[in-house]
Amino acid sequence: MIETIAFLLPPFLVAVCLVGIHAWFGIQVLARKVIFVDLALAQIAALGATAAFMLGHPAQSAATYGYSLAFTLLAAVLLAFTRAWGTRVPQEALIGVIYVVSAAAAILLIDQAPQGAEHLKQVLTGNILTSGWNDLALIVPLYLAIGLLHWLWRGRLTGAGSLAWDFVFYATFGVVVTSSVAIAGVLLVFSFLIIPAAIGVMFADALGKQLAIGWIAGILTSAAALAASFAFDLPTGAAMVCAFGVSLAVAGMLYPFLRGDRRKALRVMLASTRGIIAAVLAGSALQLAAAPRADQPLIDLAEYAMPALRSLYFTSSEQAAFADAGAYAERYRREAEELNERERRNRTEGETLDDFSVARISSFLKSYGEMRKGEQFVMEEVRARARGRVRWGAGLGLALMALLFAPVPWRRVWMRRPG
Amino acid sequence: MALPGCRTMALRGALIAAWLALASSGFAQERIQIVTTTTALRSLTEAVGGERITAVSLVPPTMDAEEYQPKPQDVLRLKQARMLVRVGLDYDLWADRLLAQAGNRTIGRSGPGYVDASYGIAALELRGMSVGPGDGHAHGSGNPHYWLDPKNAEVITATILEALTRIDPANAAVYESNRAAFLARLSAKLAEWEARLAPLKGMPIVAYHNSWPYFARRFRLDFVGFIEVKPGVPPSPAHLAGIVRTMKARNVRIVVREPHEPQRDVAFVAGKAGAAVVTLAASVGALPQATDYIALFDTNVAALLAAAR
Repeated sequence: MIETIAFLLPPFLVAVCLVGIHAWFGIQVLARKVIFVDLALAQIAALGATAAFMLGHPAQSAATYGYSLAFTLLAAVLLAFTRAWGTRVPQEALIGVIYVVSAAAAILLIDQAPQGAEHLKQVLTGNILTSGWNDLALIVPLYLAIGLLHWLWRGRLTGAGSLAWDFVFYATFGVVVTSSVAIAGVLLVFSFLIIPAAIGVMFADALGKQLAIGWIAGILTSAAALAASFAFDLPTGAAMVCAFGVSLAVAGMLYPFLRGDRRKALRVMLASTRGIIAAVLAGSALQLAAAPRADQPLIDLAEYAMPALRSLYFTSSEQAAFADAGAYAERYRREAEELNERERRNRTEGETLDDFSVARISSFLKSYGEMRKGEQFVMEEVRARARGRVRWGAGLGLALMALLFAPVPWRRVWMRRPG
Repeated sequence: MALPGCRTMALRGALIAAWLALASSGFAQERIQIVTTTTALRSLTEAVGGERITAVSLVPPTMDAEEYQPKPQDVLRLKQARMLVRVGLDYDLWADRLLAQAGNRTIGRSGPGYVDASYGIAALELRGMSVGPGDGHAHGSGNPHYWLDPKNAEVITATILEALTRIDPANAAVYESNRAAFLARLSAKLAEWEARLAPLKGMPIVAYHNSWPYFARRFRLDFVGFIEVKPGVPPSPAHLAGIVRTMKARNVRIVVREPHEPQRDVAFVAGKAGAAVVTLAASVGALPQATDYIALFDTNVAALLAAAR
């Protein structure tokens, strides 16, 4: 337990720092309606790094960082100007153009600087999990300084300012995004930027309250996502982005309850849940009746959760054939695994196998693979035939269930029947 | 009167020179154009083909061949090629689409110039399409990094020789003697590498990607874990914690990465467990010193020995 906490503490603290600064920038970005500006800035920074690699500078050197920063500042100038142009063409469109052009330019440069491929991949996915105390030592003072600067000049930096103040905003934002993306990747940084800020803006009007709500939501979500990623063995960055998505959805569902007519909100929520269930059931009914051999996601899911459901529509001989094929498939898998393991152990233990024996193992493994596929085919065929047999009856049953769930006031319909 | 004679001589000389130039350029054009998917296969093809062929590799040496994005020039190269040598075993699947685009029957799947170098190789770690979590590969047809066992070069060069003899039977003897000379050199080198790596027998090593089972089998190294469990998916915290635990328990002192793999993740794991990071080349040219197939192993053996010291 202590080991796990020690493992997850640095990424959690990094997440706290990122939420701290990005929630603030997020509120500004939402107000300025330049939602994707961080993607454009991150991509420009990556382009700068790729250019540095091309000129022979190693990754993580001061020169590479300098190039990244210089490119970002150039982009900041460009972005400050786009507000003036934004009267006829929306500023978001220009931001999108900056993003795609810098992404494409970086790909063109990679041909000259192959290390850039790794860097670009890193920029996209990042890995907050491998961040450590050295990252914190870098970002804490930097983000505190920028945060303080923004707090002191908040009157000038928020809302419509002059060209110079716009430049200061985009330049400081560029510096923050460049550092954050190098640690966490663009997907996660975008979530840190937009989602806590959106939740804050949703539930409060005053800037201070918006920030506080955003920080609390962001920190709680980060902690839950890190814990879940450890417990369920999931890639951390992707798990965190999905968790932020879920937290926004939950906030969206809570919003009408907290800020509107609760009874109406409950009614709408119930009706939409029933509508979704009815649509899924009706779709499954149609799919089963029309193409019983095709994938049946709902039925497959139900059978995965409760294999006993198969006994409802399998004959006893089908059940026996299905179980038999399943057992054989599992046996072949185990035997192949054992053989693989034996080969692996032999690489370092005992007398080394000669090439002929290795070839024999290889051919055995191939055969096991084929036999396993054969058994799986038998299982699929048995199931498809059974489903084909019950397609109309089961399809009708599912359709009736869909009707029951459909958000139709059945009681009123029943009362109004003629006679 | 001597002048016209001189002029005739000069003219004749010029004509002979022009003919020689034309003939030699014609000779140069007769070199068989071969395309390989990776640089390791290019080096092996050159070892067999020698002066009679020109081989180009589609994937640049420092790129991940499994994630290569073909360029328009590649289609042109395939159109002009008389032979294609590919890794197979689902490693360079992108080559299939290129082949379809190029529409060159000679190097198409049933053409005389199509070489799947995995033919006849005893593939390791074969798992069905969906079996085997945690081996770092999605390859149902086995681990595809078979050229990293120098002994497999015998089989690969035999397949290449067969195809070259099919395309250019007149020079079969040349190709055969080229291959024999290469294998003699390789065999002497293999003995040297085995002797040098003997002290590392059974030494536990962690790698970023599972590229090394053939290398491990030949040199009796023990790769006990991989940072990347599934290609392209960042490792989970539980997996990374497990790797660090294994490294501490088994006293792993070396973490292997290839030049195109993320430095950050590897350095993180190595730092936690107090191990050294070694960059090895999985293909020719991935590191500057790995200039050909034999230099590739020279480089890797030297790097491993330096790290183990």
